[in-house]
Amino acid sequence: MLDPYILQQLAIGLSLGMIYALMAIGFTLIFGVLNVVNFAHGEIYTIGAFAGLMVISVFGPPLLVVLFIALATGALAGFGLERLAFRPFRRFSDEASLKSRAMREATLMSSLAMSIIAREAMEMIFGSQFQSVDLAYLINKPIGIGPITIVNGDLIIFGITVVMLGGLQWLLKKSPVGLSIRAVSNNALGAKYCGINTDRTIIITFVIGSAMGALAGILVGLYYGAIFPSMGFTPGIKAFVAMVMGGLSSIPGAVISAIILGLSESLSTSFMSSVWSDMVAYAFLLLTLIFFPQGLFGARRERV
Amino acid sequence: MSNILEIKKLSLKIGIQDILHDISVTVPQQGIVSVLGANGVGKTSLMRCISGIYHPTGGQILLEGEDISKLKSHQIVDRGIMQAPEGRQIFSNMSVLENLIIGGGPLGRQELDHVLALFPRLEERLKQQAGSMSGGEQQMLCIGRALMRKPKVLLLDEPSLGLAPRLVGFICDLVSKIRSEGYAVLLVEQNVKAALRISDMAAVIEHGKIVIEGDAKALSNDPRVAEAYLGGHVHESA
Repeated sequence: MLDPYILQQLAIGLSLGMIYALMAIGFTLIFGVLNVVNFAHGEIYTIGAFAGLMVISVFGPPLLVVLFIALATGALAGFGLERLAFRPFRRFSDEASLKSRAMREATLMSSLAMSIIAREAMEMIFGSQFQSVDLAYLINKPIGIGPITIVNGDLIIFGITVVMLGGLQWLLKKSPVGLSIRAVSNNALGAKYCGINTDRTIIITFVIGSAMGALAGILVGLYYGAIFPSMGFTPGIKAFVAMVMGGLSSIPGAVISAIILGLSESLSTSFMSSVWSDMVAYAFLLLTLIFFPQGLFGARRERV
Repeated sequence: MSNILEIKKLSLKIGIQDILHDISVTVPQQGIVSVLGANGVGKTSLMRCISGIYHPTGGQILLEGEDISKLKSHQIVDRGIMQAPEGRQIFSNMSVLENLIIGGGPLGRQELDHVLALFPRLEERLKQQAGSMSGGEQQMLCIGRALMRKPKVLLLDEPSLGLAPRLVGFICDLVSKIRSEGYAVLLVEQNVKAALRISDMAAVIEHGKIVIEGDAKALSNDPRVAEAYLGGHVHESA
């Protein structure tokens, strides 16, 4: 029989991993279609949390509506982000620019710039302190299961993530939109020859990925009861690590890596002080890059 | 006979390089027109202009009288031009079936049975990852994918490239068969002999310009073509 403390940590780690997975999917989808890392993904998460917070403090609607608004705001933010930071660099579509590293790095910088602007703007508007959430909305009501106690947030996060992952998998495998996304990630030129509107597909990818990121943000905000402008930074890095571990463009790889990451972080608190638990992600990143440069799931890699 | 596709005085510059210069080619409602020439003379660039991957710097591309030279690639596909491009550009880590369905676009699976009848080999491999097939099978997939959309004009860019001689024969027979079903085909080939055998009309490009054009039969008897491309004489560009 496992020690109850370990079981408890496993439950917490699973929630954490699910949150990282939601974030990592957005990263991975966008990397798949554009081959560029979207550095503003962490801010999308924060925007989702603040959107939820504002709706709660102004209207106080049911929880599902709050989540939906966060999702929609994330989608909108993703659309705007693509327009401002990514689209302008795709005008240069001749072969030399497509192969140029400088062009890719410029896009990377523009997304980083957008993330700094968004974070500073939120600090100006809301201040850099923690914003507390109306207690009625917090998802931390304890539930006892045998020897361990989880909170209802663990179940909510688990349920929502499973639904989102299932929905995404269905979308990518069965729907025309999903086929287009996979086609563009696999071979963007081939997709053009097949009549796929690649610009529109890229926007849709941003919308889907950002909606999931924003949902992760509001869920975490309600789980811990604290929302602040720089809250997206750490989960952004963790999701990035999960993406790299998963082989950069494999969604199943990223999800599994995210869960491994969440579980290891939460278990690590049994061996070291919890302030050090962030180290786990960075150690994983280093080990992956040194020993598995293709990612843990790189061998049988399917992009998106 | 009315022409479905007319390319008029097309030119293309990339940077300071003149890639294509005053190219004019017409494709009739039904038939195979081939554009021939050695490596690097601009054949693929011409095909990319038609599909909207490159935008020509001068001239017009008329599809049923409408200028499509400024449209985007997906708009051109919607108007009825599909290409089996150079390098095949298949979706290598998706299944054969998914490749075909993507090719069909809004038509979905409607044409699937027809395409599979042309390529029984693909039917055996529908679930297989496209990238794991042989070069010949990938070429079949590439042409089949283009046919899924029932195009008005089918563009074929070097379908024989990298194939074993036996397969080149198969692809040629297939293109003839597609023609007999009423398709208009614009074929670009380095394999001049094979292309002339199945074409109705042909044009030869050198350095971005059309140097010889006419009836395919007449061209295969033309001493200039024979010497430069059919091995009539020992010549370095053979």
